Amino acid sequence: MEPILKAVGIVKNYGGVRALRGVDFDLYAGEVHALVGENGAGKSTLIKILTGVVPADKGKIIYQGREVKIESPRMAHELGIVAVYQEPLVYPHLSIVENVFIGNEIRKKDGSIDWDAERRKTRELLKMLDIDPYFIDESMGSLSTGLKQLVLIAKALNYNARVLIFDEPTAILTEHEAERLFRIIRRLKENGMGIIYISHRIEELQEIADRVTVFRDGENMGTFRIDQVTKEKIIELMAGKTLVEKIEKKIQPDYETVVLEVRNLTKKGLYEDISFKLYKGEILGFSGLVGSGRSEVMQTIFGLIKPDSGEIFIEGRKCLIDNPNTAMKYGIAYLPEDRGNQGLFRRLSIKVNTTIPIIDYLKRIFGAVDKEREEKIAKEYFQKLQIKAPSIETIINNLSGGNQQKVLLAKWLATNPKILILDEPTRGVDVGVKAQIHEEIVRLAESGISIILVSSELPEIIKLSDRVIVMHEGKITGRFDERSSITPTNLLNAAVGERIVHLRK
Amino acid sequence: MKRSFFRTREFTIFVAIVVMFIFFGVFSERFLAPNNIKNIFLQMSAVGVASIGMTLIIVTGGIDVSAGSIVGIVAAIIGKLILLKFPVYLAVLFGIIGGTLLGSVNGALVSYLGIPPIIVTLGMMSFLRSIVYNILGGKWISTLPESIRWIGVGTILKIPVPVFILFLLLVYFTYFTRFRVTGRYIYAVGNSVEASIVSGVPVRKILFMVYTIGGFLYAIACLIILGRAGVIQTNTGSGFELQVIAATVLGGTSVLGGKGTVIGSFLGSLFVAVLSNGLIIMNVPALMEGLIIGGLILGSVVIDILRTRGEA
Repeated sequence: MEPILKAVGIVKNYGGVRALRGVDFDLYAGEVHALVGENGAGKSTLIKILTGVVPADKGKIIYQGREVKIESPRMAHELGIVAVYQEPLVYPHLSIVENVFIGNEIRKKDGSIDWDAERRKTRELLKMLDIDPYFIDESMGSLSTGLKQLVLIAKALNYNARVLIFDEPTAILTEHEAERLFRIIRRLKENGMGIIYISHRIEELQEIADRVTVFRDGENMGTFRIDQVTKEKIIELMAGKTLVEKIEKKIQPDYETVVLEVRNLTKKGLYEDISFKLYKGEILGFSGLVGSGRSEVMQTIFGLIKPDSGEIFIEGRKCLIDNPNTAMKYGIAYLPEDRGNQGLFRRLSIKVNTTIPIIDYLKRIFGAVDKEREEKIAKEYFQKLQIKAPSIETIINNLSGGNQQKVLLAKWLATNPKILILDEPTRGVDVGVKAQIHEEIVRLAESGISIILVSSELPEIIKLSDRVIVMHEGKITGRFDERSSITPTNLLNAAVGERIVHLRK
Repeated sequence: MKRSFFRTREFTIFVAIVVMFIFFGVFSERFLAPNNIKNIFLQMSAVGVASIGMTLIIVTGGIDVSAGSIVGIVAAIIGKLILLKFPVYLAVLFGIIGGTLLGSVNGALVSYLGIPPIIVTLGMMSFLRSIVYNILGGKWISTLPESIRWIGVGTILKIPVPVFILFLLLVYFTYFTRFRVTGRYIYAVGNSVEASIVSGVPVRKILFMVYTIGGFLYAIACLIILGRAGVIQTNTGSGFELQVIAATVLGGTSVLGGKGTVIGSFLGSLFVAVLSNGLIIMNVPALMEGLIIGGLILGSVVIDILRTRGEA
């Protein structure tokens, strides 16, 4: 039997980043083929190429026996290749019927829309998925995410899709919804549809997949029948054996002084029973998959999220941190993950961005800002962090991603923090700048600042962290106090839910 | 489409209109006189026609504040051509073409250059108003031929011409927005540009089209205004855009885009006309009228935004 979809030698580069380095992938009709890999392994890029969102640089796609060029999402739809994303792309105010049919209307002879036929067809499609179609006239926005996904599956069926791609469909579903989705996927499979299933939940693959392919660093590490591979093997392939050199600190952390302690912090639906200590001058890595609740814990410590229960102690004193201003007063600085939205004023200068958190302290009489001191401080960090720009007056938008990240760092360093929380500090940054930022992070720790490093990149965590905590679905599943225990395999196992604890002897 | 009827904005405003009828009717006999009812419909017809176009535009997430100035320039074109002894039908034709073209300029700037609609139409509003002053030189044209007056005061099948035109357009555009693919694409664009692109909806063409339709309908509204007033002034159409936007928003069209109906805007126009007519009959000072209508607009936008938040 020939595969229904085959990708051969696909290469894709984004600027200097090699997202896919000549991967092969095939899918048969009537199978669920799981695609796994760490963040940045190239899974999403392959999906984007298969659905016409981005073009491949090299390679070919063979669909139903002939080579095709997929130039737009629309074209992919018409060919019968449809993706259902984690956050469904919908028309919130339009009815379910319309969401299924927009762009693909049933028309009467005079060209007007045949609503009766569309409603009838929508009912049929939903019934095929075993869903009671009572809600087809409701607006799409009023449905739960799980139902939205199902409506999009109905839409795909309406396009006579032969290949359906799920991008982490269960990440935001309740258990009940996930079970329903699995039932539907099995039925689609029986009807001869080919399904590509991307997931971070290795444990659910046994239940739903027939074959699994592992990607790492833009390469296909192997394809296996699910009954001929173990979970451990999959994780080993995802993690790889690449040795990461740890940066050796000149000054070791002071394990006598606890700077921050979090006890039993819980926020329903986000994280549960989080407890840990942060010592003076250490780098504490927070590892885990995207959506494991790491960022939410950090945002709670910074006063952006109000926890349901739990306590935070700073230097032994119990603190109530209900907004970022309080957090800053306690000496906490937080470098958010999404620097575009949360961190920087994109159309203002480096200077303004650097001094904005401390502008209150730069006031002279009548509230006028002390321009000279402002300039001096901005210049100091500009030079210290080696920001590549003509001057401190350069607008943020004109800087590269790496330099923007440095400005963000400068902004928080200007507050003289005792605790620095870095959330994905090098995402989207090129290799050279990354190394510089890493060195700077270590220097900061050596100077006595305590750092929490949230990162989805294992090498980054391994290279920098003194200790590591791993989270999985809102809970701490791994604690690694010994540097020798901080290995890719250990971290990944914990990240997919296995409990591992390596405490200091 | 068949969402619970009683929960729709259209139903709410319909009830409000009925309540006002009862209230003003109890207050004054004159209000319910057949002549006054006819007057209300005549008063609302120009706003009603223009609000159809405004609805389409606001549904895409846009806005058009140049509506009043387009009415002004269409009036100026027609007046000037009549003074130059053009036949009336040609003058009217050029007026309509002019309005449509100006709408399409708005559309081109919004869709193909991606300039925010408020900026494009604000610029157009001021630009055109100046041109009107230049064309008319501050003078009135009060010698409009009978054939134009007919559009304002004549009847077809015993129905006043403005009301006849309004109903014709209402029927067509209700059909257009419910049953034509192009009509539904307007809603698709207003709901999600991203999803529209993926579904192959021609986003730019749709944006271009709604502003063009807007220009055309403002020109038709202008004919009704001229027919009723019998005179062309430099400030013909000034402030018209506000009434039109008010009617549209009151009628349930979301300023965030994506939802709203032509019928809703018709009811919105009727609501405003009934309210201002009633207030006059009750001898409420004109200043209070602005206050009440302005408050209603703000109120309905606030409700709309709070509701949308609940949904999201």
